[in-house]
Amino acid sequence: MTQEYLVAHRSWQAWGVLAAGMAFTGLLGAYILSLLGQSANVERLVAQRTEELHRANEETKSAQLQLVQAAKLESVGRLAAGVAHEVKNPLAVILFAIDYLKESVDSKDPNVPTALNDAREAVVRADAVIRALLDFSTGAELTPSVQDVNDVLQKALLLVRHAITKAHILVVEEFEEGLPPAMLDTNKFEQVLVNLFINAIDAMPNGGRLTVRTRQERLKGVGPEVGARRTDRFRVDVSVIVVEIEDTGTGIEEGAQARLFDPFFTTKSPGKGTGLGLAVCKSIIALHGGTVGIANKEGGGGARATVVMRSVRPQGEGTTDG
Amino acid sequence: MDRIRVLLIDDEPGFTRMLKLNLERRGFEVRVENDGATAHSVAREFLPNFIFLDVIMPDVDGGEVASKIRSDPGLKEVPIVFLTAGVSKEATRVKGNVIGNETYLAKPASVDEVVRCIEKSLGKKAGIGSRSL
Repeated sequence: MTQEYLVAHRSWQAWGVLAAGMAFTGLLGAYILSLLGQSANVERLVAQRTEELHRANEETKSAQLQLVQAAKLESVGRLAAGVAHEVKNPLAVILFAIDYLKESVDSKDPNVPTALNDAREAVVRADAVIRALLDFSTGAELTPSVQDVNDVLQKALLLVRHAITKAHILVVEEFEEGLPPAMLDTNKFEQVLVNLFINAIDAMPNGGRLTVRTRQERLKGVGPEVGARRTDRFRVDVSVIVVEIEDTGTGIEEGAQARLFDPFFTTKSPGKGTGLGLAVCKSIIALHGGTVGIANKEGGGGARATVVMRSVRPQGEGTTDG
Repeated sequence: MDRIRVLLIDDEPGFTRMLKLNLERRGFEVRVENDGATAHSVAREFLPNFIFLDVIMPDVDGGEVASKIRSDPGLKEVPIVFLTAGVSKEATRVKGNVIGNETYLAKPASVDEVVRCIEKSLGKKAGIGSRSL
């Protein structure tokens, strides 16, 4: 009886040990599973942090590049301002001397007037290069005010009316009505528009059509210059004003596309362009917090310049978008 | 008919010499001063109808010269235009060459531009440098 009890008792103990073992194994399994889960979480966190670090690194690199670029521009600005003063005075003397000689020289040699005219044009050209260099480097001072982009476009078109008529170009205005205003330095923005118009006109030496289009757009998706990062020019879902200037001209040559906005890059014949026009445009539009791009139209047949600017909310709704 | 008296104040002798030649041929009476420090006393003596004034000059700059001339009762009504290499044509194009309260003409300018500027300041249309005073 005692022996049976003991056997039974041992059996209970054995069951107990077995049950405890199973429970322990279960707990151990659960613990291992939990560890594995935590490990997956850790891996996900590490991946996320790595991605964030990578992005932060890219942003830092981009910011560094911008700083270097700004420092370079500042140096160019100081240099240009000094050069401008030192060069403009001699240019002024030469111009007055040419004007004096033109009315004084009574030569039978027909080349004399030609030589004086060539000299005069050379002075005007040199002055244009200096002016463009000054614009490029000292454009940091904006005097912005709330403006109707359509109005500014119309004024800028008036400034190039003569060139448009001379080149037999038809102007098509597709201005969206009720466009929200934008904060613009009208003189500088007008300078950009005139530059883009002149480029379009020069691309159509045998006439053509210049389409000027405006519209309001809400930026829907992430894209170039659009996103949530600090370095992105625009945030997703902001309201912007899009200006398009289209020509039916020769289009952009393949190799030129990437260098269009580089200082001193020009596809125009010698004497026609300073190579600083588009660089100045980009600098001015960037100061306004906008973007400018030029590309061939889909399907060819000319080029399209696109300027994207922030709009100003109607009165009472706060400040600028974005 | 007296000729219009124009005073040129600029530290660049070549510049004032060439402008003087051109303006004299257009009928203006011109006096040149290349030193900002003595410009005011020259103006008091010459009593110009119009003054072209350089901005950046050694020792005494254009701003200081303008201030002295404007505080002189005998000269304060004389129009002063700053003829300078320090501004761009784009900047001066705004509101008929006026930036702030001052009138500027950007260097280099043609003789025609200079004469137009004098005529505009004196409210005169004829291109000859003389008028009834």
